[in-house]
Amino acid sequence: MRIAIPKGRLQERALSVFADAGYDIPSETDLKTRKLVFDRGGIEWIFVKDGDVPVYVEHGAADAGIAGLDQILEHECTAYQPVEFPFGHCRMMLIAAPGAPPLTKVATKYPRITRQFLDQRGVHAEIVPLSGSVELAAVLNLTSHVVDLVETGETVRIHKLEMQEVVAEISPRLIVGKNFYRTEPKMVRELIAKIEEVAKVSS
Amino acid sequence: MATKSRYPTGVRPLLAGETARRRRIESRFVDALAGAGFSEVVLPIIDYIEPYAALVEPATAKQSYRFVDREGDLIAIRSDFTPMLARALAPSIAPGALPLRLFYRGDVIRIEASRLGANRELFQIGAEIVGDDSIDADVAMLRLAADLVRAPCIEPEPNAEPTIVYNDVSIAAALIAQAGAVREALAAKRMTAGVPDALQTIVAKLISGEATLNDVAPFAPEAAARLSAIEEAVAGDAVFALHLDDIEDSGYYTGLRFRVYAGSARTKVAQGGRYDNLYERFGQRAAAIGFTFTIDDLD
Repeated sequence: MRIAIPKGRLQERALSVFADAGYDIPSETDLKTRKLVFDRGGIEWIFVKDGDVPVYVEHGAADAGIAGLDQILEHECTAYQPVEFPFGHCRMMLIAAPGAPPLTKVATKYPRITRQFLDQRGVHAEIVPLSGSVELAAVLNLTSHVVDLVETGETVRIHKLEMQEVVAEISPRLIVGKNFYRTEPKMVRELIAKIEEVAKVSS
Repeated sequence: MATKSRYPTGVRPLLAGETARRRRIESRFVDALAGAGFSEVVLPIIDYIEPYAALVEPATAKQSYRFVDREGDLIAIRSDFTPMLARALAPSIAPGALPLRLFYRGDVIRIEASRLGANRELFQIGAEIVGDDSIDADVAMLRLAADLVRAPCIEPEPNAEPTIVYNDVSIAAALIAQAGAVREALAAKRMTAGVPDALQTIVAKLISGEATLNDVAPFAPEAAARLSAIEEAVAGDAVFALHLDDIEDSGYYTGLRFRVYAGSARTKVAQGGRYDNLYERFGQRAAAIGFTFTIDDLD
């Protein structure tokens, strides 16, 4: 079994979930090397950028992984999501400067989710895809609005922006590839049962 | 123009080696199907969109290439043989001519998000039994799919026996008809708050994989009875696995639904099922069951 761990924001939580579930995970010394693939306890652990976890799992290059709903939706990942975790919750919000003009241009790291959100509202607006520090787009008037994840709201506050609307409630999930789910049912059931237990205990 | 050195996304030529390989598999499949009493039919590469509009879901429709022809009519390039066969056959089915055992081969073009960029042009071989709603026909098609995937043309993988997962779409349909939230729970494989109390137990059992035919029988007695008979008929063969939670791509299917996984990567190489209401939409009632192999997915 090959499991994809998201680097960055969710990495530590994701690893401790598997550790708590009794899996032999790569050690901290392992992780200080530049290796991205580790064999531990009969499982191949791969470390990929958080947004790439759904891509690996969708195409069967990894059997399972942990990914945020933001990345799952943005990649239109069809993998199963059997466990939702009680940690790492945040909101995807529509944000603007106070007194901003009507919604005409939106900067975001999530063009697909933003497009769906705008379509549902029947709003016609141009999407400006950015790869980070999205709030700046509204501060510097590159766009009238931005769509981004809000955890504590600190970034929004210090830039004197306003949260206008919730686009989606975001939480991390265990995702399992469909082909793996159908062809290795025993392994899948065991994995889900163990991870579910940890998620329950920590909630 | 830099683009002239490449092909449009998803299509490519097959040169001598790959073509020989494809033809080798194709001819074994065709021999096996002819041996099982199936006759070949040829379907057009393009067709009007209008006759299919009511039965194709918008998401599926988006997967096909569509354009306007010289008369101003909307046309689609073939993306699924089954409805085309129904449209071709339904008007001309003579009473007493059924059941028919037919097969077809050719390319379909389909833009699937779950496939990496390449491989939009898929070479498929499919077979159908039209006008037979019996459990025997279900079992015959499952067995035929198993024989084909184990055919000697496909290199045996040491640790990867093929798997054929089967289910009946009417079970999930019956539950979803009671509460729409069931669809979401079964699709994610996670219990959600919207599932009503009365269905919590069965949905939880389906998600966890514990559900048995006895558990689903109260909700879909006919489907449970059919599946039970099928299960008994294929019991000796480890290739078959009943997965009651499998609700993917129900589309125009009305009963048995199955998928074939093979090769070291456990790729989905074929899928099929029963669609007893499809022919009716084209003017003639006929039960039908079929499957399609995507030949290039066989390794």
